[in-house]
Amino acid sequence: MSWTEDLRRAPRRYSQLGFQTNLDKFARMPWGLVAMIIGLAIMGAAMLYSSTINNPDSSGMAVRHFIRFCIFFVLMMGLAITPLRFWLHLAFPAYAATLLLLIAVEFIGVSGGGAERWLKVGPIRIQPSELMKIALVLALARYYHIILAENSGGFLLHLPVLALIAAPAFLVMRQPDLGTALTLVAVGLVMVYFAGLYWRLIFASLISGLVSIPIVYLYLLKPYQIARIETLWNPKADPLGAGYQSEQAKIAIGSGGWNGKGFTQGTQSQLDFIPEQHTDFIFTVIAEEFGFLGSFSLLTLWACVIVWGVIIGMRSYSLFGRFAAIGAVATIAFYVMFNIGMVAGLLPVVGIPLPLISYGGTAMLTVMAAFGLILSVDIHREAKPDR
Amino acid sequence: MPKSKERDLTVEFSRRTVAAAIAGGAIWTGLLGRLFQLQVMESRKYADLAAENRVRLELAPPLRGQIYDRFGVSLAAHRQAGRITLIREMAGDIKATLQKVAALIDLSPARQARVIDEALRKPAFVPVVVADELTYEDFTRMTVYATNLPGIQVEMAATRSYPRGQDFAHVLGYVARASQDDLTRLSEGLGPNEARKLQLLFKHPDMRTGREGIERISESWLRGEVGYRRVVTNAAGRVIQALPSADLAPTPGNDLSITIDAELQAFAMRRFGKESGAATVIDLASGDILALASTPAYDPNDFVNGISSADYSALRQNDRSPLFHKAYDGLYPPGSTIKMVTAMAALQHGVTNPQERIYCNGLHKFGDRTWYCWKKGGHGSVTMHQAIKTSCDTYFYEMANRIGIENLSQTFREFGFGHRWDIGLWGGRSGLVPNDAWKRRVVGVPWMGGETLNVGIGQGQLNASILQLAVMSARIALEGQLITPRLIGTGPPTEPKPAPQAVELDAEMMQMMKAAMYGVTSEPGGTAQRSGDLGLGGPRMAGKTGTAQVRRISTEERLRGVRNGDDIERKLRDHALFVGYAPADAPKYAISVVIEHGGSGSAAAAPVARDILAEALRRQSGAKAHYRAKHAPESNREML
Repeated sequence: MSWTEDLRRAPRRYSQLGFQTNLDKFARMPWGLVAMIIGLAIMGAAMLYSSTINNPDSSGMAVRHFIRFCIFFVLMMGLAITPLRFWLHLAFPAYAATLLLLIAVEFIGVSGGGAERWLKVGPIRIQPSELMKIALVLALARYYHIILAENSGGFLLHLPVLALIAAPAFLVMRQPDLGTALTLVAVGLVMVYFAGLYWRLIFASLISGLVSIPIVYLYLLKPYQIARIETLWNPKADPLGAGYQSEQAKIAIGSGGWNGKGFTQGTQSQLDFIPEQHTDFIFTVIAEEFGFLGSFSLLTLWACVIVWGVIIGMRSYSLFGRFAAIGAVATIAFYVMFNIGMVAGLLPVVGIPLPLISYGGTAMLTVMAAFGLILSVDIHREAKPDR
Repeated sequence: MPKSKERDLTVEFSRRTVAAAIAGGAIWTGLLGRLFQLQVMESRKYADLAAENRVRLELAPPLRGQIYDRFGVSLAAHRQAGRITLIREMAGDIKATLQKVAALIDLSPARQARVIDEALRKPAFVPVVVADELTYEDFTRMTVYATNLPGIQVEMAATRSYPRGQDFAHVLGYVARASQDDLTRLSEGLGPNEARKLQLLFKHPDMRTGREGIERISESWLRGEVGYRRVVTNAAGRVIQALPSADLAPTPGNDLSITIDAELQAFAMRRFGKESGAATVIDLASGDILALASTPAYDPNDFVNGISSADYSALRQNDRSPLFHKAYDGLYPPGSTIKMVTAMAALQHGVTNPQERIYCNGLHKFGDRTWYCWKKGGHGSVTMHQAIKTSCDTYFYEMANRIGIENLSQTFREFGFGHRWDIGLWGGRSGLVPNDAWKRRVVGVPWMGGETLNVGIGQGQLNASILQLAVMSARIALEGQLITPRLIGTGPPTEPKPAPQAVELDAEMMQMMKAAMYGVTSEPGGTAQRSGDLGLGGPRMAGKTGTAQVRRISTEERLRGVRNGDDIERKLRDHALFVGYAPADAPKYAISVVIEHGGSGSAAAAPVARDILAEALRRQSGAKAHYRAKHAPESNREML
């Protein structure tokens, strides 16, 4: 594989990368990936336009979505040209600060949608659980950057990582934000996996995980969370309650057929009956109005974005760059996977948005920051960050 | 760092990437497979489900806030009424549908035509009211047969109702379906999206907007926020099931309370009988307006579902103008009721002393014109006290002349004339306190000395609202203390313009005015001597009569003996006015009354004022008991 060739080349110092000004960095920008990101955001705006066309309450959502994207796009570009060593030095302090914020949320959090997730600082509302998605990736990348340079990666070296993952996941779960907690754990474990945890340990923990499911099910989940899982297997049992969303989403998706009902022509998706249509369930609009071809195109586009991100991870010269990119890609991939799995009735409804397409600023900010990190890794891929 | 180790790591990293890519590809294939299953293999099944199981989002209008009086008596509430609506897009042939409805209930062809017209004007999915206020029989019959009539819905809906009817017509105003003008007015200052939302909301048959009074000015406080209702409809569009929609539920409007005592208001309205007039009662302790009556009135309930044009034009053409809020929007020459203010201006500016005697022989010459006192032959020699008591015009012509218009108008302003009291009602007038600058600006000529004489007895260009007169009376009763009338108890926050400052007069002068007002009702020669006793076995009323000329009586007529009353046509007769307060020795309530074309203030207005004040005092004890009974449980709860 050609990108592994890159890894054998010696990393260079930042000063040797040949960047006279920040503008030089744009020459190394993976523009194809940037174009796909823009394409997804435009698709989101179009779908929001379609799903809110008959609802005066939500008109203007599509425009706001796109304006928000433009703002975050500038942010992403700013992050992209930030030197990699900046991320490296930021990693542990950012993780510690975010963890403190999560603890603060426990005590002085602002309720939003039934869960304590917000911190109010003047007019700004901070959602530490979202910040943590990036901070955790950075912290783990930093950790492995130090450890794996010296060691081959014994079992004990991974234990602190588990603690780094478990602490925020536990706090987020208490909020209770099951979706985000699961994302944190999943992304963390992916990074552990890439760090070379022994296969036998991976299999052993997978098995013990399966065994522990009944325990989690019986003792740790809240009744509404159990209800969501149960309706997954039997949505008709309670068609107006927890199974309602799932069932209606399936009707919307299924009725789209091969090529859909046409833009703005979806009868099921006009925000009429699917709660959270414009946020978590936006995929139903695409599926209904553009049919299987539309779903296929969207999934393929996302697959390209994710593969490109993995390639960026692979061709980074530094361990930090590799792990940061892999972690960021994993974060985005889990969003997409959980969301479409949930909307298509394969996973319980856990409130995870479809990045760049769902309405909502927080998730978009996280995803755009993750993209900024990935782009930064790529632009500075030959750099040798400090230890 | 050993090179080989890093290479190992690199190889391992690549190996793991391949494994992850395989896993990712499997997940991707799995998701795509699931979508293929739903959208291609089972597509037909879901398409059928989509067609028959149509879930719609219906606008759910918010419940308008209710309005209460000071004791929690309901003044504007909701009433459930049966109703038939038609949704055009589901009905198909709306004409045929309406004919079928007409076979079941009474529905005139004219009404059918109007429904068709309205249905075609509105968007196809908006329900249009076919008939409302259904009787129980019609409601049940329609409920049974409606299943065969696509697009026809039979439902219960909340309608605004005004339990006190006419009593509060002018204070509350009324609500009606929003016209295009209303929508334009309500959309002012809103963004395009907000405006579009508002337009759509007001197309709902349950939505009403305030047109007059509190309903209009507190519209945004009372309206609430629109919500939605998820409903499952069958193929014909009939709602067959309501789905959980708590997350979309409308937010009801805020309630509002006013300071008026509903019973006192009712008493005041009845006391006017067939006369047209207005009265304002102010609680001196708080400035609360306890009654704000204007008669005759209309029934606001008639407007809620649209008033017929015949009824409306009858109201408009009635020469006693029932649609007009006489207490707040009406302006009258205050006549002799303001003589205390003229007297105080004279004292304030040192142009006289209370003991000075002016001789009244029934006329007063100024320049080459003659001003007449109301009493033919005159009052003889009068002091200030006697001049107020007997309402001697000659005395005040002289005083007005001495004071001059600039000083006089200044004192009038200090008592609140020329100021629009913002009491949270739509409308309201400031009245006019004329002076030289005003006349030059508006008429274009300088002020004439003779005009000052007219202003001094409350005539000429001077005019005032009944509310202003009550405030004046209240300020005298409180010996100059600042009082601001207040109508809204709990309601939208207001920022009223700063009220005119209280007059700085020494207590002796103020007591002199009060003594004179006592004289009016309680001493021999007082113009309202017969109305002083409140009939409560003790407390008396103090006050001042006023008779405002609607038309100048010519010298010729005066010589023929024409003065007023039955000699002339009603609409040219004088307005009868009265201002006062009670009890005279320890004032609690101030009042002002006008009876349009009622004749003299002493004969027509004073007895009305007396009876209303007596009722206010009588209710004082009773009302408190009522209030306690109503509010005790709540206050106890709060303490717990």
